[in-house]
Amino acid sequence: MQILMENIHKAFGANKVLEGVNFELEPGEIHALMGENGAGKSTLMNILTGLFHQDQGKITIDGKETKFSDSKQAEEAGLAFIRQELNIWPQMTVLENLFIGKEKRNALGVLKEKEMKTLADDVFKRLNISIPLNKEAGKCSVGEQQMIEIAKALMLDAEVIIMDEPTAALTDREIRMLFKIMKELTATGVSLVYISHRMEENFEMCDRITVMRDGVSVATSFIKDTSFDEIVKQMVGRELEDRYPERNPKYGETVMEVKGLTRAGVFEDIHFSIKEGEILGVSGLMGAGRTEIMRALFGIDPYDRGEIIMNGKPISIKNPSSAAKQGLAFITEDRKDEGLVLDFSIRENIALTNLESFAPNGVVKEKDEKQFVNMMVERLKVKTASHETKAGNLSGGNQQKVVIAKWVGTSPKVLIMDEPTRGIDVGAKREIYNLMNELTERGLAIIMVSSDLPEVLGMSDRILVIHEGKISGELSKEEATQEKIMTFATGGN
Amino acid sequence: MKKIITIAMVLMMVFLSACSMESPFVKDSSGDDGNVKIGLSISTLNNPFFVSLRDAIVADAEAKGYEIIVVNAQDDAATEISGIEDLIQQNVDVLLVNPTDSAAVSSAVQSANNAGIPVITIDRSADKGEVETLITSDNVAGGEMAADFILEHLGENAKVAEIEGIAGASATRERGEGFHNIADEQLDIVASQPADFDRTKGLTVMENTLQGNGDIQAVFAHNDEMALGALEAIKAAGKDIVVIGFDGVEDAIASVEAGELTATIAQQPDLMGQEAVSTVEKVLNGEEIEEVIKVPLELKTK
Amino acid sequence: MKTSKLSTIWNKFIPLLALVALIVVVTILNPSFIDPANIMNLLRQISINGLIAFGMTFVILTGGIDLSVGSILALTSALSAGMMVAGVDPILAIIIGTILGAVFGALNGLLIAKGKLAPFIVTLATMTIFRGLTLVYTGGKPITGLGDSYAFQLFGKGYFLGIPVPAVTMILAFIILWFMLHKMAFGRKTYALGGNEKAALISGIKVDRVKVMIYSISGMMAGLAGMILTSRLNSAQPTAGQAYEMDAIAAVVIGGTSLAGGKGRIAGTFIGVLIIGILNNAMNLLGISSFYQQVVKGVVILIAVLLDRKKS
Repeated sequence: MQILMENIHKAFGANKVLEGVNFELEPGEIHALMGENGAGKSTLMNILTGLFHQDQGKITIDGKETKFSDSKQAEEAGLAFIRQELNIWPQMTVLENLFIGKEKRNALGVLKEKEMKTLADDVFKRLNISIPLNKEAGKCSVGEQQMIEIAKALMLDAEVIIMDEPTAALTDREIRMLFKIMKELTATGVSLVYISHRMEENFEMCDRITVMRDGVSVATSFIKDTSFDEIVKQMVGRELEDRYPERNPKYGETVMEVKGLTRAGVFEDIHFSIKEGEILGVSGLMGAGRTEIMRALFGIDPYDRGEIIMNGKPISIKNPSSAAKQGLAFITEDRKDEGLVLDFSIRENIALTNLESFAPNGVVKEKDEKQFVNMMVERLKVKTASHETKAGNLSGGNQQKVVIAKWVGTSPKVLIMDEPTRGIDVGAKREIYNLMNELTERGLAIIMVSSDLPEVLGMSDRILVIHEGKISGELSKEEATQEKIMTFATGGN
Repeated sequence: MKKIITIAMVLMMVFLSACSMESPFVKDSSGDDGNVKIGLSISTLNNPFFVSLRDAIVADAEAKGYEIIVVNAQDDAATEISGIEDLIQQNVDVLLVNPTDSAAVSSAVQSANNAGIPVITIDRSADKGEVETLITSDNVAGGEMAADFILEHLGENAKVAEIEGIAGASATRERGEGFHNIADEQLDIVASQPADFDRTKGLTVMENTLQGNGDIQAVFAHNDEMALGALEAIKAAGKDIVVIGFDGVEDAIASVEAGELTATIAQQPDLMGQEAVSTVEKVLNGEEIEEVIKVPLELKTK
Repeated sequence: MKTSKLSTIWNKFIPLLALVALIVVVTILNPSFIDPANIMNLLRQISINGLIAFGMTFVILTGGIDLSVGSILALTSALSAGMMVAGVDPILAIIIGTILGAVFGALNGLLIAKGKLAPFIVTLATMTIFRGLTLVYTGGKPITGLGDSYAFQLFGKGYFLGIPVPAVTMILAFIILWFMLHKMAFGRKTYALGGNEKAALISGIKVDRVKVMIYSISGMMAGLAGMILTSRLNSAQPTAGQAYEMDAIAAVVIGGTSLAGGKGRIAGTFIGVLIIGILNNAMNLLGISSFYQQVVKGVVILIAVLLDRKKS
């Protein structure tokens, strides 16, 4: 299928989202679509797949001008859109998910279980994946769920598959598998639109790249003719310094020590310590138990045994409230679901962790609150017209800054950051890295869990690797390489 | 310290003097245009008896050229009081009140007294406040009639089941009391279960009772709805049992005539309604009225 | 951006506009509606539903529900009436009754927070339990003979500066609860809990404690309403308060609070209470059959929910 989108304009009310975008897609090609959050990538793809309608401009498919009235029509025409938020019904089985809304049934409406199973087996075979069809989809890893979505697209005989940040939640191994499948798909003439913030992936996988900025397509180039720097320049409209800021850590006292932390079946015998001013990177495959360890440290999930020592004194952590009192802070990997109250304003979100200090006797001192929030918003460079903007209306990067602000405001001693830059654009990432540097210079200790290996290497002073719930290796900044981390992460030595 | 006490005392005095039991907004009763306006507060319209009662009152009142406004308490004491207050607000000349409960209605009756509106209660009385008269069926006597009927038909120590109304409702208490006055001594009450005046619940309760006591000879239900429900259970079980209802609603009378329900202690809502409207007339004419007007009950059998 | 701001303001005022429109229409149809005596009358009539609905607002803001309020009202009414009959000072009995309401509410809260049970299920169960206990305690009969204490009579039937005391109680409760919800940390936590319970927990809020507090408030308001009803009825009715939870929930919903939690205002609930109260009062004044009254109430609830739907 050949697609040509010309001079696409789209506005929501007064808000102009697209102001002249050109995009083309050849059969069998992988075309990267890059741009900061809010550049209009998703809107463009939603127009292509019939969810929205352009105000101006035209779409030509295989030489014919086309306008889908809704997404169902686009789907029938062979365009599939795999969104970042996967369309998975967690309580239903894999098989049920594959055929949701498109169940095969006989004249009486009875489901043709066998036929569906055969079809599903075929697709899974084609994708070379083996997920039990009767498994509850919610119990599948994010990677597996992604595969289910791709399988769904293939069952529709999609000729064009659009993937929005498909690798954001995948482990390295799963990414490898996804890439293999992508290559195989293109070999059969399927074309892919690949939206990702990860530059390396775009350069590895794609044939062409289109960069968008502020609702305009800046340039389309062949990957072989362009470079990282050039793309970054196109994206931000200016030169960007190094991706990671230089770190000159000065360590203080050991602030936190964890001994023999165990939760049966999840993680075992976790030992580590961290000093003031240090960034401790925690790496490992998805599902290795990294997040679970951090949640236990912060009192969200329980642990069976082990000791947590802060400033030389053993402490007990029963719930997040007591963890916060002991000087811990936790930035969750899932900012929308766990980090923010999306209906709350920026002010209310930032104030939430600090209510006790503005309301010593229960009554909120609004002046103190406003002052504090002003300070935090300024310090974290949250870009917003008003502090009363709802957190749900912010871009991913700004949301993350608000989450960080609410915890930095508690003046913690140890800040746990779980996937601090997931799904965030390059500019905002850089700002978060700078902030991490600034915080550690003031003596804060940061534990950073990340699946983004370059980030772990770029920011950590020391790296712990977790494999199947245990620490499988510890690397200093100097000795760490992607290969060494991956070896530990996969259980090698 | 003394100062504080003094201040507190003064504040208390001020507070108390600001309180009163009388509304400063006295109802303006002028503007009466000679038309007679009657307010009727009915306890519920989910029961055919009260529907018949309302219909009778409305028909009679309109025949006499009175204007009538009806409010429904929906079996809730607070709703009832609100409704009566709204009627007082409407400047009705006479209030007909069919209370949900005699204690609970008292404050509304007192409000009417304060507004100078005469009150006539129907079916149930009011504990406090001045009432012109109470128009009622004699529920206690009705309960006794039912027990006597069973005694007559089945003799002493017949095994009977009693299906009670809503726990705490006055009809439940009075009809039960009358029944027990005789049955406790001369009959064998094997089961007493509430079915909340509801036909479906009457059916269930009877099914359960039959499970436990297969040899029951008679059933007395505190109203017809429950009796008709019980009858269904008895028919389904293929038994032949004497069933007596209470109220005399249309369904029940039809059933008695068809030879299914043995008897019903019929109240006479039409008669009560007529009595109520003619009492209104007497009140307006300033005639003497008896304290209680008993409307006869009627044992209906085939 | 601008349009959305305008529409939020618009949404905020929809219940208020509806209230004003209702008042205008009713007054045109029957001018005696705005008679001061009737306004006082109306305020007294809505005070019970008002108190319960204010407490319910907190519960619904957290995405919960409290079905047991009607039963708590009946039980506290019966217990305090029992105390008065036994010779306890009526004022003391009123205070104890109100506190008992809070205790029964706290029981709901503990089961919901510590037992990790759904509020609907817990309060459905306690609704039946409390009603059953009321019947057990009263033996199914109303409790009467509560004495003629001036203060007790005043509480349900008296006037303060010409305003019915129950209405004064309701307005005081409204002011206190409004302050708690909008000016205190507790209110912020309530909204946070309804907006995103997980995020609230991870932000270090003691979610369990807030929940227990909220259900205690709901129970306490039901208890207080029970005390007013006891005085108004000069007795405790074993069947009092049946289906009151429904009127309270209706008022909260009409006032624009989302049943999903996180969004809504207690001032909206006040308007909802007024709308329901005026509908009942006006339809009596206009002589509309009670059967239609129920239909109209249902339609108003539906319209309110549809408007709420449009908002999000």
